[in-house]
Amino acid sequence: MLVIRRRAGESFLIDGNIEVEILEVGSTQVKLGIVAPKNIAILRKEVYITHEQNRAASREISILELASLADKLHR
Amino acid sequence: MPHILTKYFGSIEYREADVVRFPSGLPAFEQETEFVLIEPPSVAPMVFLQSLQQSSLCFLSLAILAIDPDYSLAVTAEDLQSLHLEPGRQPGIGGEIACLALLAVAENGRITANLLAPIVIDRASRRAVQAIRIDSTYSHQYQVAAPMGDVCS
Repeated sequence: MLVIRRRAGESFLIDGNIEVEILEVGSTQVKLGIVAPKNIAILRKEVYITHEQNRAASREISILELASLADKLHR
Repeated sequence: MPHILTKYFGSIEYREADVVRFPSGLPAFEQETEFVLIEPPSVAPMVFLQSLQQSSLCFLSLAILAIDPDYSLAVTAEDLQSLHLEPGRQPGIGGEIACLALLAVAENGRITANLLAPIVIDRASRRAVQAIRIDSTYSHQYQVAAPMGDVCS
């Protein structure tokens, strides 16, 4: 992990075309401004994880897996 | 009574009163706003969330208390608002709301439950939201069952 220290008003660039600016520094929160091309998705981490898990959850579960789970739950 | 074609159960009848509505859909499925819950008694506590809009979309879930009887909710103010519930107070699981965790099968065959983002349903209004937690108390991949063929499980 790259660790950078910045103050409010300062920025850093990712890959030359994604800019993250520290807008405000509060006692429990930081406000960030992000400028990136429209094709770059920016999501809070837990939202990104939920997207991925939901896609995984939408995949077909075979009857065998369902039966096996039902069996395990009833033990 | 209206019918739908479901992913796992063929064509079934359902009552309008049993439809669950997600005003903002679900993350990665924002257009999916209407589901019906299918709970075959023979496979309790499994609950299937069948999309009314797409017969091929059906999530499998478990009642969250069946996974962790001590599960405690931490629904954000924004999500409480979308459920039209009072802010500043966590709703009671099993009372006014039902709480489910979506299941997924990981590549290694393990069945995991997303305890980080439970489905919260207001029983009376039938409004629902996937309430993404902002703490790290629970895992998004809590193992519920080992792969099939696991001799020791």
